[in-house]
Amino acid sequence: MLKNGFKAVAIIILALLLHKAAFAAEVIELPPEELAQESVLPVFDKPVSVKNRNVVTDKRIEADIFYGYAMTEPIANVSKLGLGIYYNTSESSAWGLLLAKNFAGLSSYAEQLDEQFNLKFDRAPSPELTAMLDYNLKAFYGKMSLSKSLVINTILFGSASAGVVKYVHKTYPAVAVGLGQKFYFTKNWSLRFDLRLYANQAPVPFLAGSLKPNEPVPDYSDFEERVTFTTNLDVGLSYLF
Amino acid sequence: MKKLLLLLIASSLVVPLASSAQRKTKPRTRTTAPLYNSNTREATLKNQLSNALRMAQGGQYEAAANNLFTLSRRSELAAERPQIKYILGTMLMELKLNQTAAFQFVDVIRTKHPKYSKLAIEKLSIVADTLGDDTILNYAISRVDLNDFPSNLRDMINYRLGEIRLRNREFRQAAELFGKVSFGSSYYFQALYNKGLAELEENQPSLAIGTFNKMLDARRKAPVTDTNKVAAQMGLARALYQKQDWEASIEAYAQVPRDTLMWHDAVFEQSWAMLRAARFRSALSNFQTLHSAYYEDFYMPESLLLRAIVYLYICKYDEMEKVLSLFEKTYGPVRSKIGDFLKSTNEASAFYAEIEKAHYMKTTDKSSNLRLPYIVLRNVLDQGDVKRSMHYLEKLNQERARVESNPAFRASPLGQYALKILANRGKNTKFAVGDMVKAHLLNMRVELRDLYEQAGFIRYEMITGRKESIKKKISGKDIEQIDENIDRQFYIQNGYEYYPFQGEYWLDEVGNYHYLGKQSCE
Repeated sequence: MLKNGFKAVAIIILALLLHKAAFAAEVIELPPEELAQESVLPVFDKPVSVKNRNVVTDKRIEADIFYGYAMTEPIANVSKLGLGIYYNTSESSAWGLLLAKNFAGLSSYAEQLDEQFNLKFDRAPSPELTAMLDYNLKAFYGKMSLSKSLVINTILFGSASAGVVKYVHKTYPAVAVGLGQKFYFTKNWSLRFDLRLYANQAPVPFLAGSLKPNEPVPDYSDFEERVTFTTNLDVGLSYLF
Repeated sequence: MKKLLLLLIASSLVVPLASSAQRKTKPRTRTTAPLYNSNTREATLKNQLSNALRMAQGGQYEAAANNLFTLSRRSELAAERPQIKYILGTMLMELKLNQTAAFQFVDVIRTKHPKYSKLAIEKLSIVADTLGDDTILNYAISRVDLNDFPSNLRDMINYRLGEIRLRNREFRQAAELFGKVSFGSSYYFQALYNKGLAELEENQPSLAIGTFNKMLDARRKAPVTDTNKVAAQMGLARALYQKQDWEASIEAYAQVPRDTLMWHDAVFEQSWAMLRAARFRSALSNFQTLHSAYYEDFYMPESLLLRAIVYLYICKYDEMEKVLSLFEKTYGPVRSKIGDFLKSTNEASAFYAEIEKAHYMKTTDKSSNLRLPYIVLRNVLDQGDVKRSMHYLEKLNQERARVESNPAFRASPLGQYALKILANRGKNTKFAVGDMVKAHLLNMRVELRDLYEQAGFIRYEMITGRKESIKKKISGKDIEQIDENIDRQFYIQNGYEYYPFQGEYWLDEVGNYHYLGKQSCE
């Protein structure tokens, strides 16, 4: 509740600041007959939607550091930190390598289960590392204006990845598809958001008769395996070289 | 059309046999042996001719054309040649080999055959119209009394004749001919537009306004981007400008939709009208668009000078200086490159080669090594005569491709003959285009020389204005000049008053840039 209150205050302060910046200049009214009357585009031999792009990615390398949050992970720690490096083969495609290290420990839900039912989920194998080859299809280049003097360019992209998820005892192949958005606040720096759905073979952490302290500690191989889906949100900072 | 063709071929089947029968009754004066051989050969040929005509009737156009072509070369069938060539021409028309067909019709016209020459002229005018070949069309028209043309072709002939008159600057006669094109004809709207143009050239803007309004009325229900409708709107705006009705002209230019090819010209011309109507801020708004990165391929030196003149009127000397510098920086090299190119060659083929490379660049995304700036060649490509000739060349290429796509036809004598004709016409047209390009480049050189002179005068006015401004400043009468702030960032933040070609510009914003500066004059 208090958290939401803080959020609301922050948004209102930001809005007031931007409002001040937006209306700092003199308000000039244009004669209505001189304003564009239609929403169609001018005709060119070779139509290009943007000239003199602020953010040119073609044939450039981009590196990013990100925090990953596993939204649907029940037992293992939901956080991870990662590094990514991409090469933009064109303005519409990029190929990259992602490496993310999982935080040790359990999720808060697993800790609650331990408190309430005395279940030791740290006996179950947990993910340690994720390494993926990632392809990005940059679908839309856009811009948004927060004030008269602050324009942020955006890139919306789809992603498809393949790689491995390493657990403490075994490495499993994994694939992922997702949607991402980058907000360039300079020509090089951007905030990057990636929402990915991972699919990989993984051990099921729920093993009857092995998770209580008085029960024998199971071997990692005792845990069953099945295809597991995890939704992951990555938030990171990118630099375009 | 098909029915007529069948009827004609059917009647032609009878003609050779009848003429053959008539000849049989004539007394023979030669000896029997050669007569026998000759008769046999002639009969064989007649038989072949009848077969060819039957093939034509049966829709076997390619086979019929090949046979007719062979027969048209036989001396024994000299009397039937006009008829053979005429039908061969119609077969070629069916095969969409219009240029090759045109040559058959020209041959028939030359024979002055009482029946087939007239028919051939009609057909020639149709193929020439399809090809857009003025030379052939003029030849056809010059060979016959226009009243002899069938009524269904009269509109086309009047329209084409009007075009010729317009080119010869006989504006009154041109307007009359265009006026004869009847409503319902496919040439009606083009004729109406050209009539308006001729009236404007005759300095009768009121008449032209009527003509363009008539055209607009007729196209009222057409979509907004309808070419005829937009052309009429543009014509109307120009006529109003010529009539010096600035406000109405500005309004008419504003009606030209952005998603049409004429919009750019409309914006530029509207800026002139705005200057004349003393709407300086509005004119400068237009220049934000005209001088945006989207139009960097456009040749428009005049618009930069016009922008400088507008700045002069509102005493924006710093801006003026920048625009004049931009003019010199952009068009100085253009001028010298045109001069160097004209000095280096006199060959039409060299001029054509250059325009062909530019055409390639314009129609594909690939670049090419050009000796002349692309903006110049792009402008030349957009000139009516060059555009038309390039279109004609395109038609020739299509016809050649049609021949070459059929190996059997290509290898036949008719195929070889067609390729030879097409190669020859192509070569001559390229030379003609080369000459046109050269003429346009010469005009551009003269125009740039004049514009440079004007730029000199404008610069002189700018210096005088600055001097006056300094005098006022010394005497304390000066008003605040935002131009004094050299930091260009200031202008960008204040609403794109100065357009530095460094920002990011979006296609959907073109046409929405506005000048927000104020007048700096006292």
